[in-house]
Amino acid sequence: MTALPRLVRAELFKFRTTPGPWVCVGVAVLLTGLGVTTSFIVGHHNVVRFAAPTTTEGLRRLVGAGYTAAIVMAPVVGVLCITTEYRHRVLTSTLLAHPRRRDVLSAKVLASAIWGLFMAVFSFAMIAAMGIPLLVAEGGSVPALLRQVGPVVPGMLAAYLLLAVYGMGIGTLVRNQIAGVILAIGLTLVLEPIVVGIFSSLAHMDVNFLPTRATQAIAGGLAPNGPGGGDTQAGHVLLSWWLGAIALVLWGVGTAVIGYFTTFRRDVT
Amino acid sequence: MRSIVGQVSAVSPAVRGATIEVRGLTKRFGGITAVDDLSFRVEPGRVTGFLGPNGAGKTTTLRILLDLAEATSGTCTIGGRRYRDIPDPARHVGAVLEATNFHPSRRARAHLEMLAVQGALDASRIDPVLDLVGLTADARRKVGGYSLGMRQRLQLAGALLGDPSVLILDEPSNGLDPQGIAWLRDLLRHLASEGRTVLVSSHLLAEMAQTVDDVVIVSRGRLRAQGPLSLLTSQSRSSMRVRTPERPRLAEIAHAAGYAPRPLGDDVLLVDGATPETLGPLIAAHGVVVYELVQVSQDLEGLFLELTTSMTAQGAPVEMAAR
Repeated sequence: MTALPRLVRAELFKFRTTPGPWVCVGVAVLLTGLGVTTSFIVGHHNVVRFAAPTTTEGLRRLVGAGYTAAIVMAPVVGVLCITTEYRHRVLTSTLLAHPRRRDVLSAKVLASAIWGLFMAVFSFAMIAAMGIPLLVAEGGSVPALLRQVGPVVPGMLAAYLLLAVYGMGIGTLVRNQIAGVILAIGLTLVLEPIVVGIFSSLAHMDVNFLPTRATQAIAGGLAPNGPGGGDTQAGHVLLSWWLGAIALVLWGVGTAVIGYFTTFRRDVT
Repeated sequence: MRSIVGQVSAVSPAVRGATIEVRGLTKRFGGITAVDDLSFRVEPGRVTGFLGPNGAGKTTTLRILLDLAEATSGTCTIGGRRYRDIPDPARHVGAVLEATNFHPSRRARAHLEMLAVQGALDASRIDPVLDLVGLTADARRKVGGYSLGMRQRLQLAGALLGDPSVLILDEPSNGLDPQGIAWLRDLLRHLASEGRTVLVSSHLLAEMAQTVDDVVIVSRGRLRAQGPLSLLTSQSRSSMRVRTPERPRLAEIAHAAGYAPRPLGDDVLLVDGATPETLGPLIAAHGVVVYELVQVSQDLEGLFLELTTSMTAQGAPVEMAAR
């Protein structure tokens, strides 16, 4: 395991020198900008207007405007980390340099997590660069906004980090890059809401340990168009933040471990 | 590409290579046996050609040797150790397996920097190896825009980056122009002369004949021959090529005499195992009209074909003492 730091450096070098991870950062920044914009759209008695958020929930939505970017793009970064190796056959040179595959996979988990945090930094930079001037222009309170940084930012950072690891796990299982990206986004945006809806309506169960719901728990109940800031969202009970973190860690590490034993140890031909 | 002689700053002198040893190696893919109880040794200080027709199991063997694939049974070692047990293996073993394992958007220099980081290699060697393979001017171009030959040279640069004492190269001359092939031949000869172990697989037999000291010939996953090329070719069977308007009749006569004649054209017959002294009297005794009678000297190609195209290919392998 003494090779792990340099293997992580090598994985981050791969991220830096290929366009895919930077495209993810760019899309995350764009989605964050969209999130900032929507957090200024205030609805009241069927009247929608553009205004500075003033409530705690509204301000938290502004600080957490990168939530959609996190749940969509952080897993994609993780998927790219592993599937690029298969798509371009770079895995051969990776394993020639270090044939111990468990170390290589561990390095990819850590590198994905670090790149997830890197995306989060860009996302928060976008919120600061766009959100604060808009807030000031609309007569909002910057000190009130900053008071929500503490409750929201650590959870958002954790969400980016853990979702990137979760994506890495998906990529390890799937290997095909396009299938992995579609699966990562599809699970989040399509399959998971359907599963949650089915269990909720048929069995009156809150399936709150699935990745997106666990992310909501970590991020303090933030969700697109959700109330934010509480322990419930749309009538569903969320896990506590630390249980949500454990759930997301298990999704990420669990899929990576299953992928290691089922696909990553296979012959490289 | 720079001349090898007189400038070898990219490769250190006096490096002692390690012996590669394959013992009883078998690899099955489902019901298909790709490598079948294969055993051979590759000695330091010599260029060893690893030859066989398509599907003979060469690439599979090399991938098992480099721990990219698991053997069904048997062992492969380099200097007595499995590849995975060699600390920082890229510093000791350089490998070229295929010219496609690059990210097309990564620049060539960045590719080598990446190899240096993950293999714990000396990054200061990047410029010398780029210079050696003639890619200095293109080092900042994306690999996606490289020709096959340029990719192959970049692969070689990567293999040499760690200044390894063992080189394992799978079809390294693919895509190289004649000048590049000649350069590669000089490089491999030079590296072996320094004491390094060089194992190279190729289908360019004429080129290999000029490059290798030893050969390992495999067919259908089994060893067919192993040893110094000069010994193997000198002791293998000769053939006679006969041009005659009576090819079918001569084939029958040769067959009746215990030879294995093979038609090479409408009026040409190749009689394996025959010599001028044995075939000439036979032709005269039967009054066959002959336009041309030529003894075919057994070169590497002839040896290769003899060992790999026989219908049975099940005989005991030919082994010669290394020296």
